[in-house]
Amino acid sequence: MVLVSAAREYVNRMLQDISGMKVLILDSQTVSIVSVVYSQSELLQKEVFLVELVDSISKSKESMSHLKAVYFLRPTLENIQHLRRQLANPRFGESHLFFSNMLKDTQIHILADSDEQEVVQQVQEYYADFVAIDPYHFTLNIPSNHMYMLPAVVDPPGLQQLCDRIVDGISAVFLALKRRPVIRYQRTSDIAKRIAQETSKLMYQQESGLFDFRRTEISPLLLIVDRRDDPVTPLLNQWTYQAMVHELVGIHDNKVDLSSTGKLPKDQQEVVLSSEQDAFFKANMYENFGDIGMSIKRMVDDFQQVAKSNQNIQTIEDMAKFVDSYPEYRKMHGNVSKHVTLVTEMSKIVEERKLMLVSEREQDLACNGGQVAAFEAVTNLLSNESVSDIDRLRLVMLYALRYEKESPVQLMQLFNKLASRSPKYKTGLVQFLLKQAGVDKRTGDLYGNRDLLNIARNMARGLKGVENVYTQHQPLLFQTMESIIKGRLRDVDYPFVGNHFQQGRPQDVVIFVVGGTTYEESRSVALQNASNSGIRFILGGSVVLNSKRFLKDLEEAQRIAKSSTNVV
Amino acid sequence: MATRNRTLIFRKYRDALKSVRVPTSSSPSTSSIRGGGGGGPVIELASTSLLNPNRKYAPLSTEDPGNSSKGALTVGLPPAWVDVSEEIAANVQRARTKMVELAKAHAKALMPSFGDGKEDQLTIEGLTQEITGLLRKSEKQLKRLAAAGPSEDSNVRKNVQRSLATDLQNLSMELRKKQSTYLKRLRQQKEGQDGDDLEMNLNGGRSIIDDDNLDDMVFNEHQMAKLKKSEAVTVEREQEIQQVVESVNELAQIMKDLSVLVIDQGTIVDRIDYNIQNVATTVEEGLKQLQKADRTQKRGGMVMCATVLVIMCAVMLVLLILKTILF
Repeated sequence: MVLVSAAREYVNRMLQDISGMKVLILDSQTVSIVSVVYSQSELLQKEVFLVELVDSISKSKESMSHLKAVYFLRPTLENIQHLRRQLANPRFGESHLFFSNMLKDTQIHILADSDEQEVVQQVQEYYADFVAIDPYHFTLNIPSNHMYMLPAVVDPPGLQQLCDRIVDGISAVFLALKRRPVIRYQRTSDIAKRIAQETSKLMYQQESGLFDFRRTEISPLLLIVDRRDDPVTPLLNQWTYQAMVHELVGIHDNKVDLSSTGKLPKDQQEVVLSSEQDAFFKANMYENFGDIGMSIKRMVDDFQQVAKSNQNIQTIEDMAKFVDSYPEYRKMHGNVSKHVTLVTEMSKIVEERKLMLVSEREQDLACNGGQVAAFEAVTNLLSNESVSDIDRLRLVMLYALRYEKESPVQLMQLFNKLASRSPKYKTGLVQFLLKQAGVDKRTGDLYGNRDLLNIARNMARGLKGVENVYTQHQPLLFQTMESIIKGRLRDVDYPFVGNHFQQGRPQDVVIFVVGGTTYEESRSVALQNASNSGIRFILGGSVVLNSKRFLKDLEEAQRIAKSSTNVV
Repeated sequence: MATRNRTLIFRKYRDALKSVRVPTSSSPSTSSIRGGGGGGPVIELASTSLLNPNRKYAPLSTEDPGNSSKGALTVGLPPAWVDVSEEIAANVQRARTKMVELAKAHAKALMPSFGDGKEDQLTIEGLTQEITGLLRKSEKQLKRLAAAGPSEDSNVRKNVQRSLATDLQNLSMELRKKQSTYLKRLRQQKEGQDGDDLEMNLNGGRSIIDDDNLDDMVFNEHQMAKLKKSEAVTVEREQEIQQVVESVNELAQIMKDLSVLVIDQGTIVDRIDYNIQNVATTVEEGLKQLQKADRTQKRGGMVMCATVLVIMCAVMLVLLILKTILF
């Protein structure tokens, strides 16, 4: 709740003190930031009658001086240039500038220089620099995400850009929460260390005045971890509603684009899946697929009853009642069609790709031991014609991540088989993954086989049996959260930055995953928060991953790494 | 929620730079600057300051004294349709105040009173008529706001339309709800008085039909009296129902027209990023359509003339042949 409401509050404040007709000018990043928390109808209520992108608005020559311009932009070089041009030839009556992060003095200087007509009425920094997709989950939508896998020497400016964006996003979150945290990072990850140190420098040295909030007894905790410590979670197929939609179709800024999946009526081609606006989704987003089917059936039955009573119009009163309840009826109809379409699509995909078979094997590889049986099972599935290329790749990757050291011969056999079966497979991708996230690189106990306690726990679980084979996997994040709750997060694995120190357990924890989060992890966080353990967790990442995106990042990183070694 | 105000620093820089700026093109001012010479003064400033770092520029008297008034200059007159939208907004406000009065009148009419209650009925009717009239007028004016052709201005108009349409729809729904609750309570009150009679009459009606099936129709006096009474009551009820139906129809019509404009909350149409995308595509498409129309118009005239003439020639020829054959 807190992230969404903070972002909404910022937008409200931007618009409330300015009277009259307004035009809201955004850039491509702030469009996402605003769209997930504010709707078009709410903008209309605030008298914002036009929304434009800052780069496209320069092309138009119309002068609309009866409108007041409200700019909400990220303080980047391109945006400052756009603003310069627009302030020099102002098209609107007044201009109010809001930036989503800290401005440098030089940038203010440039803006002041170009504002000859003095149309700028105010320049403010409103720190809504993150996309608040769920109450406890934010993302930054960084396109160059794959850079985190590359060493710094390959592309120093690119990596610096990535780090800057992440530091900006994290500091905006804490400014919105009005807290200054104690920072810890994953020891084995260079980029996590770098980001932790830069954030600490920003919050405690460079802008310490801005971050100097009222100190509570225990500071919140910022924990920066690396995606490569848990490469298994993004590779797995998902079976809970939100995660499944993202995995099979793709959710971007809480929107689902169904236009590529066959013929659909126009109003169902792109739909909104937001827990804030859709009560059914809010109640069912973390439920597994079987239960979803039941809930949808119930929803459809309820709707059919309402529809039937609407058809049964005999008296004047019935007519009046119908006209009264028509808007709600229409909304219900839209909602029902949306969910039914989504579930139908997903069922189709599950059927086509034989995902029940594949996923059972994946979950086995992720959670249970037994190398020989696993090898046989994976070989069989590789030979299966109906399994798609991407699923074969995932299976081999999951096997490799688990049984990297046991029986390398069989591993080679699998690689060869994969290369022969999948023509589009780029050779060496699995090896690249192992180099990035292999057993030597990982800190956490991904498979529960390092720590005695974890081994015991696994054995107990194996004896007890699992409720649902398809959702038995728990992301590594769950263990990390548990350690934090018990106050047992090891300093050796997750050291503090500089001379930070924290006695006791924090009450607010922000976990940032460099490389991206997954919806399975955000589900874990939400369920943990709902269990009232006294600690509130917030999860954030550079993007929201599904297996397609994770593999794309791997491929991109591999390509760059290869070309850079060729050059060298 | 932390924020930081940079306006002071900005103003400081702006004033400092203003006193240093070359005031050549500042007065022929707004039009030339807007015409695209905006880059000019800035470049001049840079180059002159490089060349003559020590020269101080005294502020010329040609410079407008209060430069903030320049900002006011650029706030020009809004286009004509803004007046229409303001009128609609004023009507909506008026309708809202009248609704409050109507609510009071409803409450008063429902209270048990000694008088006939006819004047209350009249005031209620009058108010309802006024409100419905206002809503209908606003709705007609709303249609005028719709603009042709894709342009930024048309997007603003469309959005203003949408916002006013939402307000109108909410008002009409409120009105209908108030009306229906009032009528329901009124009917409850009336039925309290002669509801029993109505029931008996209904049953009586049914029993009459049953009797028909069994015996021959024999209307005795008792049944005639009952019939007449039920007729009178029916007529009265019919009138009331007629009124309700009329208002329901009117409002339903308004709602139907408005629902096209109003955004469904929670759907993709309510998303800001979707609307931005759509604007881009519709503007492009609009351009394509315009170009196409232009092309066909250029070609259309001549081609059509030629075809018409040829057809007429052919027709005349046929007639001529027929004439020679037949005669």
